Amino acid sequence: MGDTEVLTTLKILIIGESSVGKSSLLLRFTDDTFDPEQAATIGVDFKVKTLQVDGNRAKLAIWDTAGQERFRTLTPSYYRGAQGAILVYDVTNRASFQKLDVWLNELETFSTKHDLIKMLVGNKIDQENREVSKEDGLKFARKHHMLFIEASAKTREGVQCAFEELVEKIIQTPGLWETSNRGVDISQGGQAASACQGYCAVI
Amino acid sequence: MESILNEEVDPADLKRFELMYNEQVRRGQVSEKAKFEYAWCLVRSKYIDDMKEGVALLEDLFKRASDDGARRDYLYYMSVGYTRIKEYPQALKYVKALLKIEPGNHQALQLEKFINKKMTKEGIMGMAIVGGAALALGGLVSLGIALAKK
Ligand SMILES: Nc1nc2c(ncn2[C@@H]2O[C@H](COP(=O)(O)OP(=O)(O)O)[C@@H](O)[C@H]2O)c(=O)[nH]1
Ligand SMILES: [Mg+2]
Repeated sequence: MGDTEVLTTLKILIIGESSVGKSSLLLRFTDDTFDPEQAATIGVDFKVKTLQVDGNRAKLAIWDTAGQERFRTLTPSYYRGAQGAILVYDVTNRASFQKLDVWLNELETFSTKHDLIKMLVGNKIDQENREVSKEDGLKFARKHHMLFIEASAKTREGVQCAFEELVEKIIQTPGLWETSNRGVDISQGGQAASACQGYCAVI
Repeated sequence: MESILNEEVDPADLKRFELMYNEQVRRGQVSEKAKFEYAWCLVRSKYIDDMKEGVALLEDLFKRASDDGARRDYLYYMSVGYTRIKEYPQALKYVKALLKIEPGNHQALQLEKFINKKMTKEGIMGMAIVGGAALALGGLVSLGIALAKK
């Protein structure tokens, strides 16, 4: 990371069914760790990470939510003010894919920024027993104007890209975020090629 | 960790879940879920009396809980509540109980680390004054040790 000033702080959410790998994706991204026995999240978890995208430094405040029934009524209150949402399903679990509509609806209902950027992540691609094809994922993402990537928290594949692409898209959306300090030229370095080019489907 | 502890409930949410809970109390049929939701809001309130009421509800839920999953969740928010009230010995006791159920839980480990840091920083002396609970927990002994070390 360079010593460029932080341009802005962005609020990012991670949502989706229980045990699809939301916390694992987050911990891979923030701490570069993976726990095969990752404990189910209690309520909400929170991590911060600074990310360099297109020559700009953005501080990410990431809220990871629990999918368990006990917390379901209250977690949507954390959607307020989010600029980005990562919706996760498990490619080896068709039901987790079919529930995406419910999660999208909830996001529509409770998020306060209506142009918030959504990234769909099909996780656990390291596993053999796939139940959702890449095409299905892509089709769903297109239909709902979301970014899309397949990933594995276990092998790292796609994890960094998922966050980078999401942040890049947020930064490119005027009015969605506020700069934390005056006089920063965001056009500077804006043309730098992203390391993820070709992986994410940008809709 | 600070963000989780400093994060405050939206007063409108607190009101909403309070109404729901009170309505159930009035009808004499309180569900575990409604009670937990209200308690979760209370421990995130900005008022200390709310936090205290929240941990009391959680302690009651914990006593009646039938599975380790529920116990684990209640213990976590009991510990969060006591941390916010700054009764660190109680907070530590509950987070340790959680870690007995799930030794590798990183949310609990982070909370434990935070509580330990606070306790070292503010000293056992402060705890005895703020909490009173410190005394009940054999704080007198540790107080003696802490004073002896100075
Ligand atoms: N093979 C494999 N397992 C994963 C992957 N991501 C998560 N898991 C496992 O799936 C389980 C649930 O993960 P977790 O992150 O707790 O899911 P969450 O409930 O959505 O937060 C844990 O046992 C993880 O170790 C992955 O990419 N590949
Ligand atoms: Mg989780």
